[in-house]
Amino acid sequence: MNRATKLRPSTSEMNYFPDEVIEHIFDFVASHRDRNSISLVNKSWHKIERYSRRQVFIGNCYAISPERLIRRFPCLRSLTLKGKPHFADFNLVPHEWGGFLHPWIDALAKGRVKLEELRLKRMVVSDESLELLSRSFVGFKSLVLVSCDGFTTDGLASIAANCRNLRELDLQENEIDDHRGQWLNCFPDTCTTLVSLNFACLKGEINLSALERLVARSPNLKSLKVNRAVPLDALARLMSCCASQLVDLGVGCYENNEPEPESFAKLLFAIAKCTSLRSLSGFSEVGQLCLTAFIPISANLTSLNLSYAAEIQGNHLIKFVHFCKRLQRLWILDSIGDKGLEVVASSCKELQELRVFPSDLHDEEDNNNTAVTEVGLVAISAGCPKLHSILYFCKQMTNAALITVAKNCPNFIRFRLCILEPNKPDHITSQSLDEGFGAIVQACKGLRRLSVSGLLTDKVFLYIGMYAEQLEMLSIAFAGDTDKGMLDVLNGCKKLRKLEIRDSPFGNAALLADVGKYETMRSLWMSSCEVTLGGCKRLARNAPWLNVEIINENESGRMERNEEDEREKVDRLYLYRTVVGTRKDAPPCVTIL
Amino acid sequence: MEICNSYSSSSVDSTNPSPSEYSVNLSLSLTFPSTSPQRARKQDWPPIKPRLRDTLKGRRRLLQRDYDTCLFVKVYMEGVPIGRKLDLSTFSGYESLLENLSHMFNTSIICGNHRDRKHHVLTYQDTDGDWMMVGDIPWEMFLETVRRLKITKPERC
Repeated sequence: MNRATKLRPSTSEMNYFPDEVIEHIFDFVASHRDRNSISLVNKSWHKIERYSRRQVFIGNCYAISPERLIRRFPCLRSLTLKGKPHFADFNLVPHEWGGFLHPWIDALAKGRVKLEELRLKRMVVSDESLELLSRSFVGFKSLVLVSCDGFTTDGLASIAANCRNLRELDLQENEIDDHRGQWLNCFPDTCTTLVSLNFACLKGEINLSALERLVARSPNLKSLKVNRAVPLDALARLMSCCASQLVDLGVGCYENNEPEPESFAKLLFAIAKCTSLRSLSGFSEVGQLCLTAFIPISANLTSLNLSYAAEIQGNHLIKFVHFCKRLQRLWILDSIGDKGLEVVASSCKELQELRVFPSDLHDEEDNNNTAVTEVGLVAISAGCPKLHSILYFCKQMTNAALITVAKNCPNFIRFRLCILEPNKPDHITSQSLDEGFGAIVQACKGLRRLSVSGLLTDKVFLYIGMYAEQLEMLSIAFAGDTDKGMLDVLNGCKKLRKLEIRDSPFGNAALLADVGKYETMRSLWMSSCEVTLGGCKRLARNAPWLNVEIINENESGRMERNEEDEREKVDRLYLYRTVVGTRKDAPPCVTIL
Repeated sequence: MEICNSYSSSSVDSTNPSPSEYSVNLSLSLTFPSTSPQRARKQDWPPIKPRLRDTLKGRRRLLQRDYDTCLFVKVYMEGVPIGRKLDLSTFSGYESLLENLSHMFNTSIICGNHRDRKHHVLTYQDTDGDWMMVGDIPWEMFLETVRRLKITKPERC
């Protein structure tokens, strides 16, 4: 909504409307970016927007303080917070780095904010925070935790017990200390409001009868994702309870080598009743028989996540996917193979998002007919006209394939390619993959997110800087030759918000060339690169609006003053813009310059 | 050829360099030599999330499509590019394994504890991707965790 900034003075006529009318108009503007633009038009709009803002998104919890947030948006209802940098997902950030939830809950409670929804990603959440959360916000409805850690099932028990109006409890990929307690029992009998319950990431046993009673008294339950402790017959019972309204199901059950015919029959019967089911996931310790049971409703599925189905062989995955004619989103393991992707390409014409994950980390299996290559990627690009997002782990790639993919799919918004072996060239021509990725950025004018891999020189970054005009996030690993590569990206990509680089030869010259650029970005991550302590110090001096953090290799000790050598290469650098200065909660392994 | 009788349950001695740092070029393992030994073990590549990593580690082996009880693993001799495949379920313990391997590769092979300059040493890659000396853990546990075998030159260990 760039028009907001180009409005002529006469539009102040709009201010002759009462505030309530303007506010009502603003209600139709949902996107955070658009609302941010609105607030910049004039003082009056800024004020109206402030008090009417219900949803706030904070991409970096250290960019702002909770107090300032509440002062500006006192009427907020929904808060999204992100903590650790993205590479924390891959063990590159120490657990105690930061991203603590507690100060936020504390401030929100003290500020008497009527919080209803909280969505957290990569934050450290404690049981105390969850308890405080559960007691402080009467109308609290929805808790979504993604890749968080620091809490136990006791914290979940507080949420269950105290949040009277809870609609959504969605735990995705969290590290939760499972005390095998009775947290499911803690939902009071009066709690009938659940719409979504996802505890697939919990590792321990749960109280099955408590779960069954909870599901039985939740007439609005649309999304249920259970963990591996829910066996086949219990799952069938649960499904029967809410079959007609179930939209989203996560399966995770121990499969016996031979499931009892009776419980299997019950499962089939329950599945047949799930006419509203659109999304299926889980299957982490499940054999193919359980997957086959879902074939009757497979034609209705729009979303399928089999990325944990490590026990199901490729041919069974292929057989199932073949029936999913309406699929829009598919997450799957590479055991489906190129042949499987060809089946996807011919069966799933509505496909928009595809993620193919590696299944064999140690190259054990006979991979002549499993795992995926450029062949599968080209097939998908040719067969699925609506494809706009892809994450693809593969063992090999060619420029020719990437050029073909670019021609077939100019609509990519997200293109993430991870060739498993670092620095691997085009396996036919032995050249670098610069031209292939260059074709992608040139053809995909709307590309917002890109991850590159394989053998890459500075040239690919020249292309990215030249063509990737809408690029917001770029991930680089084991690529480039000189500082020029990084400079081309920083100079060229005007909309760049997040840049994360590992194991690439970029150093101080690139880091320091345009310090002002970092004010336009959320963050920069550089690990195992060529930047030195001296360079980082200089950056910190010239840019007081940035937090420049050095994460040390030796996690137990701060860098000793007398050991500091400015020429010493920095192992991990993370910098981000902030309006609240240096944070006070950094652990010893983090030095903030 | 020595016989391994000791089943010590001590954990890996992290001060000894693991064979992976020397022999990474020979194996097809995806461990990329990074800037420090500690990093190579931290499992930060490929970039997948912990839950997927754990799921893949915990996988029961799918190597055998037809038989329930076979346990074929690849065996390489250092310096020889072509490997062999061996069904570990046919052996009763370390003794018979070593005997069979020694015949197969026509050389003397021993377990770790009694090594000297003359004999090859048998190592294995476990479910974590680490290269370990064969013989330290009980045979049944070894069968659960072994992924592949390598016969290394004595001075490597």
